Amino acid sequence: MKSFFKRYCRNYGAMIGLIVLLAVVVVSFVAPMLYEESPWMMVAEPLMKPFADMAYPFGTDMLGRDITAGLLYGARVSLLVGVISTAVALVVGVLVGSVAGYCGGRIDDALMRVTEFFQTIPQLAMAVVIVAIFNPSIYSIVGAISVVSWPPVARLVRGEFLSLKQREFVQAAIVIGQRPLRIILTQILPNAMSPIIVSASFMVATAILTESALSFLGLGDRNMMSWGFMIGAARTMIREAWWMSVWPGVAILLTVLAINLIGEGLNDALNPQLRRRGE
Amino acid sequence: MHAEVIVNFLSFFLSRLIKALVVVIGVVVINFFLIRMAPGDPATVMAGEAGAGDATYVTQLREQFGLDQPVLTQLGIYLKGVAKLDLGYSYRNHLPVLDLILDRLPATFLLMSGAFLFSIVVGVLLGVIAARTRYENRRRWIDSAVMSGALLLYATPLFWLSLMAIILFSVVLGWLPAFGMESVGAGYTGLARVQDIALHLVLPTISLGCFFMAVYVRLTRASMLEVMGMDFVKTARAKGVPARRVIRVHVLRNALLPVITFAGIQLGQMAGGAVLTETVFSWPGIGRLMFDALLQRDYQLLLGIFFVTSALVVFFNLVTDVIYRFIDPRIAIGGKEATA
Amino acid sequence: MKRITASVQSRIRGSLMSMAFVAAASLMAGTALAQTTGGTLSGIVQPEPPILVSALNSQAPTQYIAGKIYQGLLTYGPDLKPRPELAKSWQISPDGLTYTFELQQGVKWHDGKPFTSADVVFSIDKMLREVHVRTRAVINKYMASIRAVNDSTVEIKLKEPFPPFISMFETGTMPMMPKHIYDGTDYRNNPANQKPVGTGPFMLKEWKKGAYIKLAKNPNYWKKGKPYLDELVFYVIPDSASRAVAFEKGDVQVLRGGDVDNVDVKRLRALPNVEYTTKGWEMFAPMTSLLLNERKPPFNNVNVRRAVMHALNRKLIVDNIFFGMGKPAVSPFSSSTLFFDKNMPTFDFSIKKAREELKASGVDVSKYPVKILSTSYGANWDRLDEYIKQMLEQIGFKVSIESADAGTWSSRVSNWDYDMTVTYTYQYGDPALGVERLYVTRNMVKGTPFANVQGYSNPKADDLWAKGGNTMDPVERQKLYSELQQILVSEVANANLFEIEFPTLYRKNIKNLVTTAIGLNESFDNVSIEKN
Repeated sequence: MKSFFKRYCRNYGAMIGLIVLLAVVVVSFVAPMLYEESPWMMVAEPLMKPFADMAYPFGTDMLGRDITAGLLYGARVSLLVGVISTAVALVVGVLVGSVAGYCGGRIDDALMRVTEFFQTIPQLAMAVVIVAIFNPSIYSIVGAISVVSWPPVARLVRGEFLSLKQREFVQAAIVIGQRPLRIILTQILPNAMSPIIVSASFMVATAILTESALSFLGLGDRNMMSWGFMIGAARTMIREAWWMSVWPGVAILLTVLAINLIGEGLNDALNPQLRRRGE
Repeated sequence: MHAEVIVNFLSFFLSRLIKALVVVIGVVVINFFLIRMAPGDPATVMAGEAGAGDATYVTQLREQFGLDQPVLTQLGIYLKGVAKLDLGYSYRNHLPVLDLILDRLPATFLLMSGAFLFSIVVGVLLGVIAARTRYENRRRWIDSAVMSGALLLYATPLFWLSLMAIILFSVVLGWLPAFGMESVGAGYTGLARVQDIALHLVLPTISLGCFFMAVYVRLTRASMLEVMGMDFVKTARAKGVPARRVIRVHVLRNALLPVITFAGIQLGQMAGGAVLTETVFSWPGIGRLMFDALLQRDYQLLLGIFFVTSALVVFFNLVTDVIYRFIDPRIAIGGKEATA
Repeated sequence: MKRITASVQSRIRGSLMSMAFVAAASLMAGTALAQTTGGTLSGIVQPEPPILVSALNSQAPTQYIAGKIYQGLLTYGPDLKPRPELAKSWQISPDGLTYTFELQQGVKWHDGKPFTSADVVFSIDKMLREVHVRTRAVINKYMASIRAVNDSTVEIKLKEPFPPFISMFETGTMPMMPKHIYDGTDYRNNPANQKPVGTGPFMLKEWKKGAYIKLAKNPNYWKKGKPYLDELVFYVIPDSASRAVAFEKGDVQVLRGGDVDNVDVKRLRALPNVEYTTKGWEMFAPMTSLLLNERKPPFNNVNVRRAVMHALNRKLIVDNIFFGMGKPAVSPFSSSTLFFDKNMPTFDFSIKKAREELKASGVDVSKYPVKILSTSYGANWDRLDEYIKQMLEQIGFKVSIESADAGTWSSRVSNWDYDMTVTYTYQYGDPALGVERLYVTRNMVKGTPFANVQGYSNPKADDLWAKGGNTMDPVERQKLYSELQQILVSEVANANLFEIEFPTLYRKNIKNLVTTAIGLNESFDNVSIEKN
C-alpha cells in the first residue's frame, strides 16, 4: 500500500486532481453553512454582473438568485449523482461480469448477449429516454445513469475473471473444493480490483457529465439546483447574461478534470502491479 | 487454402450478421415495452394539444392509433411491419415514420461524418506528433501541451462547449451562424447552398468532434508509445532505419488497432443522433427528432428511430469487426474473445 | 413611394362598395385608401401544426394559418362587437331564440363551387356538431334547429336564449366547411384535410414539412381587389433564438406572441422599422391561473387559498418573470372579456396577511406537502413554478416541483391527480363561452384539462352563471356577472395570476395586420406591404 501511495504522489497531475476534488467535496459540505437559504431564493437584483457586488461574486440570474450559492449547492448534486450511480453500476456490473466470467459456457453467452443489448443504444440517448419516461427526479436520473453505465464494467470484470480463472492459485482453490462464492470473493475479486477501481473513477466523471447533460435538456430534478440546470436556464439569456452559463460550466470542467486526473494517477500507480501479473 | 479462408470468413460474417439482427429486434421489443410504461399516450398528448379534448375524443384517437388493442397484438403488428420496412405512421406529424426519418437522416449523417473526420484526422495527427516528440525527447513541451489540451477537452461538457463556441464565434465575433443548417428564407441553391450549409456545419462539427478528438489523441499516443517500446521497433532503429520510416511502416499500423476499435464505438455512439449537439444548434437531425418524439409520446416515430439507430450501431460494429479481422489476423475469429 | 394608378383606385372603390362595414374599419385604421398590392408576407408557425383544418384542431398554430383559408360568418372588433364576414347582415329575434343570417353573394370555394346556405347548415348541423371540440357542446345543448331559408339565408333556432351565441361565429370556432366535399365522408380522414378547400383569401400552395407552409392568393376571392398580398409564407423554426435572428435579418416580417422569448422582445422592439402591439388578443384574452386542487387539504380551505393569493406578488411575476408582458389579474375575467368588472376585492402582496389567513384557517399547512405539476411551456413558466415554490415555502408550505411532459400533464390534470399546477386558458369573448366551463359544478368532468378541474363548487355561483348565460339584456347580464365575480374572487375559486399580453412584432411597412379581436388569426385579406 505504501508503495502505491508513493507512486501516486509522484504524479503531479494526480495530486492536483486530488486537491481539487477534495475542495469540491468540502464545498459541498460547507454550502448550507455559508448559504443558509436555498439557492432558489430570490435574494438580489436580477441579472447582476459578476464582481459588481462582492456579496454576490459570480452575479445573479434573471430571477435575482445568487449564482455563487447555486455553484456551491450544485456541487452536492453532481457528487451525489456521480458517486451513487457509479456505485450501483459497479454492483450490477461486477455481479454480471463475475458470474459470466466464472461460470462460462451458456450462462456467459446469455449474460453477454444481455450486456450487448444494453450497449447497442447510445448511452445518452438511452438515459434521456429512461428519465423522460419515468419522469425526471433524482431517482430516475441515478437509475438511468446506472442502467447505461454497467455494461462496460461487466465486460471488464468478465475479462479479468476469464484470465484470472486460469491462474494456478484459483485452480488450486477449485481443486481443494472451496465453494465458488468464496473463491470469487476471496481469491479472484481482490486481484481484479485495480482495473475496477480505475474504471470506477472514470465512471464517476462520466456520470457527472451525463447528469449535467440531462439537467441541461430540462430532464433534471426540479428541486435540486445542479450545474447542468443552471446552464440550461441560462440558454435563453446567452447574449444578455453570459456569466450565467460560464461559471457552472467551469465548475463542471474542473470537477471532471480533477476526477480524470485522479483516475490516471490511480492507473499509473496500480499499473506496475498489473505488469507484474504478466498481463 | 483460398476456399477455406473464404468459407471461414463467410461463416464468421454470417454468424455476426444473425447475431446483429437478433440484437436489433431485441432492442426494438424492449423499447416497445419501455415506452408503454410511460404514463399518458399519444392520444392524451394530441387531445391535450387539440385544445379541449374530452373523453370521447381521446377514445376516438386511441381507436385510430390502434392503441385500444392488447399490447402483444400491437407488438405483433409492429414487428410484421418492420419486416417489410414499414415503420408505421406518425399521427402527430401525419407522415409515415420512414419518410420522417429519411428526411432528417442526411443532416445527421452530415454532422456525424464531419465530426468523425475532424476528430480522427486531427486526433491521430496530434497523437502521433505528441508521441514522436516524447519518444525522441525533443521539444517535449509539445507533448505536454497536446496532452493537457486533450485532458481539458475530455473533461469539458459538450453542450457547454457548444454554448461557449456560440458566444465567441457567433455573438461576439459574428463569424459563424449560431443555429440551424441553412439560412432561413434565403432560398440558396447550388454552390451558394453548399457554402451556406458548410458555414453552418463548422461549429456543430467541431463541438461534437472535440471530445472524441481528445480520446483519439490519448489513444494514439499511448498506443504508439507502447509499440515504439517493443522489440521489433528497437531492432529496426538499431538497423539504422530512419525514424520517420519506422513510424510509418511499423509503428502506425500496429498502433492504429485500438484507434479502429474506438472508431467503431464512436460511430455507434454518434449514430445515436448527437442529441445534445443537435439541440443546442437546432440542427435538424434524428437526434432532435427523437427528443421531440419522446416528449410528444409519438410511439411509432420513437420506435422507428430506435430501430434505425440500433441498426446503424450494429452495422458499424460489424464493419469494425471485419476490418479488424483483415488488419490483424492474430485475432481469433469466432470462439471466445477474451476482451471486448 | 406610393403610386396610385387608376386601376388600383378603381379596385379599391370596388371593394369599398361591396364591404361597407369593413371599409369603415379600415378607415379607422387610417391607412387603407392607398394600399399597395403584391408582395410576400413571411411569418413563423410553431410548433408545426399537424393539419390546417381548424374544425378538427383547435391548436394555436392550426388556427393561425387556417384562418386565412377558412372563414366564419362573422368576425369581431376589438370591442368584441360582431362584424360581417361571410354573413353580410344578421338579425336576432327579441326573445333571443331565432338568429337569421344573410350570406354574402358571389362567394366561391377554392375549387370553384359556390358557397351557399346548404354549406352553412351542413357545417354547423353535421360536421362541427361532431368534430369541433369546443363548439359541439354548445350546438348540442342549445341549438333546436337550423335551416336554409333560401340559397343565401340561414335561420337558426335555439332551445333557450343563449346570448353568447352571437360571439361564436369567428373562423376558428365556427369555420364554414364545404358540404360537397365532406358530407357523408369520414371527416377526420377526408383527403381534403391535406388539401384544404375554404372560402378564404389564401389557398395552400406548398407545405414542406419541417421547413415552411406557403399560401398563395385566391384569385377568385369574393371581396374584389383583395387580398392585396400575393403570398404568405410561414417558416417552421424550432428554436426561439433562431426565430429572433430571422426576424432581425428581415427573413421573417411578423412575429406572433410566443414566437420569441420575452427577453428578445425588448431588444427587437427597439430596432428601427419595427412596430409592436399587444392588440389582437381581445377575444382569446389568455388568463394564467394557478390551479389549486380544492378537493383535498390544504386547498379545500378558503383561507388557505386566500393566503396563497397574498403570498404571490402578481406585479413582480409580470414584471420580472414575464418581462412586463401582462396585467395582474383582477378577477377570473380578463379585462377585455365582456362584462369584466374591475371593482373587485384585491389581494395585495403581503406575507403578513398571508400568515394571518393561514392562522385563521386553522390548518397547519406544513402537514400537507404539495407538489407543483410542471410542464414544458417554456423557460418563463419554469421560473414561475420556482417563484411560487419559494414564496409558499416562506409562509410554511412544503413544496416540491414535479416535471411532466405534455401527455402526462394533460392526463393527470384531466383526472384531477395533482396538487397545484400553472396553466393558461383562453376566454373567447363572452364569459359564458370560455370562463364558465372552468367554474360551474356541472363541468366537473374528468377527461379534459379545460374544465372545472380544481373542483370549485358553489350553488349560488352556478345559479348566477345559469342566469347570466340566459338573459338577453346586457345591463342585466352585467349585474349578474359583477355579483358572480365578487363571489369567485373572494372565495378564490381559482388563483388567477395575470392576463397574458402577447406581443406582436412586425415591420413598419405592413399595414392592417392587427385590426380585429382575433388579431393574427384573421384572414389577412386586408393586409398590405407598403414599398418605401
